[in-house]
Amino acid sequence: MAVYKRGYQRYQGPLTTHAARVMAFPRFAWRRLLNQRLVLIALIVSLIWPLLCLGYIYLANNLDLLKTMGGVAPVFKVDGHFFLVFMNVQAVFATLLAALAGPGLVAPDLANGALPLYFSRPISRLDYAVARLAVLGGMLSLITWVPGLILILMQCGMAGWSWIRPNWSMAAGLLAGFVLWVLLVSMVALACSAYVRMRLIAGGLVLGFFFVLAGMEQVLNQVLRTNWATLLNPTRSSYFIWSGLLGVETPEGPGVRECALALAGMIALLAWILERKLRPVEVVA
Amino acid sequence: MPHVIELDNLSVKLGRRVVLEDITCRLGATGGGRAIGLLGPNGAGKSTLIRTLLGFHRPLNGSARILGYDCHRFPRDVRTRIGYMPETEAIIADLTAVAFLRLMGEISGLPPEAALEKAHEVLYHVGLGEARYRTLGTYSLGMRQMAKFAQAILHGPELLILDEPTNGLDPAARRRMLELIREMKEEHGMCVLLCSHLLHDVEEVCDEAVILHNGRVVHQADLEAERRANRRFVELEVTGDDSGLEAALRQAGAYAVRESAGRWRIVLPPGVELDALWAILASQNLGVHKLTHRRDSLEEIFLKAVGHIRETPGDEARREQEMAHGRL
Repeated sequence: MAVYKRGYQRYQGPLTTHAARVMAFPRFAWRRLLNQRLVLIALIVSLIWPLLCLGYIYLANNLDLLKTMGGVAPVFKVDGHFFLVFMNVQAVFATLLAALAGPGLVAPDLANGALPLYFSRPISRLDYAVARLAVLGGMLSLITWVPGLILILMQCGMAGWSWIRPNWSMAAGLLAGFVLWVLLVSMVALACSAYVRMRLIAGGLVLGFFFVLAGMEQVLNQVLRTNWATLLNPTRSSYFIWSGLLGVETPEGPGVRECALALAGMIALLAWILERKLRPVEVVA
Repeated sequence: MPHVIELDNLSVKLGRRVVLEDITCRLGATGGGRAIGLLGPNGAGKSTLIRTLLGFHRPLNGSARILGYDCHRFPRDVRTRIGYMPETEAIIADLTAVAFLRLMGEISGLPPEAALEKAHEVLYHVGLGEARYRTLGTYSLGMRQMAKFAQAILHGPELLILDEPTNGLDPAARRRMLELIREMKEEHGMCVLLCSHLLHDVEEVCDEAVILHNGRVVHQADLEAERRANRRFVELEVTGDDSGLEAALRQAGAYAVRESAGRWRIVLPPGVELDALWAILASQNLGVHKLTHRRDSLEEIFLKAVGHIRETPGDEARREQEMAHGRL
């Protein structure tokens, strides 16, 4: 029977699992995000560098090809430095993509007062935050650790599977380093989106978060003649951590453990902001 | 008998202010559609009570249960069984009505296909069928109210919590909304908690009413019983010597209270018609300055409960009757 002739009947069918209910948020959000031209362009542009890196790995494993073409074979090495550069570039794209996509996740819900509708259903605040994190986490994974692992697989395939044996820690380091960065960037984007209800300003705030803290680091390090202010800069702290994870010599400054603690502190602070902001009703004391 | 809503010594504190204080009551018998009106002046605690039932506020003391589930300890069980229409603007402006309802259906636990089908079905039912592919941001206030109502009934809840559902509706849309609420109750067996400041709306669809004032339940009324009593209220302003009016009215079986010089509130019991009142006024040689009559007893109950009037004429006699029948 046609829907318009049917009239209302109470739903009596089976219900989905709790996880399926929570995952409805990311499914709807991904569909909406991919309909935004700017986000789609940013996503495609973010995949150019991984493609170039794939070409680099191909050439590094086919130096003879270059020689036969008459050129002088340059030094192509697929090592920790290579992956560190790859991570740095992709981290920038991840931040830009988070600044574009992140503000559209929580800010409209707060501006439209949609949270009471969500939380009057079997969805908790934690479920909602996790679902929104999954939206950004999923999208940023596409341009960070997923292509990173593809590069490692390609290197294994071309250099022989024995390559992974001495380098497995690099693969694990790449995965862990990117997961940490994706978590941090997603939390920054969600917190900014929850704090400022206007999308454009929230997007600017995401970028501002990283630029301002980087500027503060420079000023404090210069004024106090120290390098501990590096802990305030999430970009620099992450660089230190990635260097440690990839087995590359870390620059002078705080250790990997201190940097990891500083980032954990930032993530905790952002989680606290989200906890304060993601409420179905605001209570004025 | 189990009840839909059970409040036991419920107190809720928001910030430093105790908003609900030691509320104990049982509302709505389970097992069939029943509508409960939640009334009270501004700041009485109606919205806080609703939000506590939804698990948004933690009780300071006591407990609130819906369909036997503690709202604070088992929020997921409670929320699976309720549909909520908030008073405030609560839509996602850049989603189409179908997408909005589908999302709401899926997070309520409907499989994606069922959620899509229900979204279309419900939108047609509430009269938004033709506008279902428009974004909600382009809807008028009345259409938004209907969309909010649609999302509340989409998953077929057992209890429907409606916060000011007729706000901003024109008379035709208001009538349609009240019809829908009555339909949910009578044809689909849903229990309805209707929070409204429009007493007429509550009286039209509700079977019982609870009145909050300063965070306390000041009155609980069985509207069905009030309707059965079929009393008629008259407000009268007369000129002339009205000293003998009360006795004459009592003789005719009516109850009256003299509010001030020449101003009377009268209750005509079933069987006593207005003609009889006119006859009494004529016999007393009184000039009628104003006479209004209505069957709306809820306003009387409300005004008395929040302290705006001291008593309803005839209540004393009714109490005496009830005591005589051993009901009190």
